[in-house]
Amino acid sequence: MTSVARSLPFPTEVIVGDKLSISIGPQHPGSGHFRIIVVLEGDIVSEAIPDPGYVHRGAEKMCEFRNFVQNVPMLERTTLPDANGIIFPYILAVEELMGIQAPPRAQYLRIISAELNRIVSHLYWLGIYGVFLGHSTMFLWPMGDRELFMDLIQTVGGTRVTPSYIIPGGARNDLPDNFKDKALKAFGYFERRLKEYDRIFFSNPLVLKRSQGVGVLKRSEAIALGITGPNLRGSGLKSDTRKDEPYSMYETLDFDIPSYPDGDCWARGMVRFHELYWSMQIIKQAVEKMPSGPFRSRLPLLTARAPAGEAVARTEAARGCMSYYVVSDGTSKPYRVRVSVPSFRNMIGIPYLLKGGHLADVPAIYWSLDYWPVEADK
Amino acid sequence: MVAPNALVGKVNEILVQAIGEPLRYLVNWGRLYSLWPVHVETACCSIEFGATHGPRFDPERFGLLEAFGSLRQCDLLIVFGTVTRKFAPRLKMIYDQMPEPKWVIAMGACAITGGLYFDSYNVLPGIDDLMPVDVYIPGCPPRPESVLQALIMLQEKIRKSKLR
Ligand code: SF4
Repeated sequence: MTSVARSLPFPTEVIVGDKLSISIGPQHPGSGHFRIIVVLEGDIVSEAIPDPGYVHRGAEKMCEFRNFVQNVPMLERTTLPDANGIIFPYILAVEELMGIQAPPRAQYLRIISAELNRIVSHLYWLGIYGVFLGHSTMFLWPMGDRELFMDLIQTVGGTRVTPSYIIPGGARNDLPDNFKDKALKAFGYFERRLKEYDRIFFSNPLVLKRSQGVGVLKRSEAIALGITGPNLRGSGLKSDTRKDEPYSMYETLDFDIPSYPDGDCWARGMVRFHELYWSMQIIKQAVEKMPSGPFRSRLPLLTARAPAGEAVARTEAARGCMSYYVVSDGTSKPYRVRVSVPSFRNMIGIPYLLKGGHLADVPAIYWSLDYWPVEADK
Repeated sequence: MVAPNALVGKVNEILVQAIGEPLRYLVNWGRLYSLWPVHVETACCSIEFGATHGPRFDPERFGLLEAFGSLRQCDLLIVFGTVTRKFAPRLKMIYDQMPEPKWVIAMGACAITGGLYFDSYNVLPGIDDLMPVDVYIPGCPPRPESVLQALIMLQEKIRKSKLR
């Protein structure tokens, strides 16, 4: 069966024996720009083959033709919902290569922007997840509340989704004066909203029926498959790069890592739901703790050269552990940039999770992983 | 005395002149405010399209309906950004499956010229070679407001278009 599905350029519906192979995506609303070839026996999925690569834009190769600073906006576009989080490790690696140290204020500014992006990214996920569980209210509410945080990102970085705010040497600009008031007002409102989210969605009996016990990923399986981020924490492992290997100034902040032992769609959702709350707490503390001083060590020149060498950095992006490996040969352009994205590692779990489940559960399981195809394909 | 055939032709002409214009207006008016977009995401611009569908921008008040359902019932194809070599045949297939009349909006720099990825080995330099485009939305990604503006421009175009 597998060979039949693999050999066709566009396998649509193929029947072999009592098995039916159907292609979900890349156009189907349930999968985004990604295809899953699902082999069905009746209503039960007997095999699922992910077919990524519809958005492969060659970001790694293109990094070699642009210099270190020009790469910031380009790499940012691999995951637009989480732009600041995704570019964070690249900046850390480039700083290590160039021997620049960002001033303490910049470190906090980076935390603020990365956590704002985490909230925005989780809200976007919640909207899409809600609508694919058949809960339209859960599309409209997060999308509406997300605009509040979009406004905050706009006050910090200037644009809605592509701020390119974190640059080698610090942050691009300082916080505006009204940021604190605006942020506290938004957080106060959103913390009240979280209770309503819980009431209408996460404790909703219908949603519980559709997500509890669906797509169970055991703790040992999650570790063996190399799942990362909220999906790993949803399987009961308290693993978060922010705590395990603190970078920037995360060690000075007091926050908790939510984790649920169940490993099902509901647990993965609850982890992200609690992360919304904790990200707000992190931003509140960072705004308080932020020392005054310069927000950038020096303006990076477009032609800034890095001495020959290599650097690795990893951080916790919204979808999991994100790392970059940058090699420089002494010119102003990197010799090689290796991007290791969390989405791709979470995709490895898709065949295991879908197998044995119902066809109707495919969207629920797929979206509970918060898979972002553009990020996985690079 | 005119021949009966010519008479029929005359009556037809008069009829077309009398109701052709109101009919065209009526049909276009009907199409104008019920645009069903195809739900096909090609790249990162889709996140701003998702935001456009949120309550703050709400495109339904202009007549852009939600992106669900079969593409054989859709009449608007919005291409969100980058089209890669792997996706291009799919996109063409999607376009060919849509019934007439159909319109195409190219959203984002990538869909217009390849944008940021103009020199990539796997990205098409714009979608013009694949399908006729009605409205281009510049930006990377375009703000939701510009998506709404493109929608209004497209509606102007539909309002003026001939009946097919
Ligand atoms: S125009 Fe920009 S945001 Fe849109 S798909 Fe291209 S790179 Fe992404």
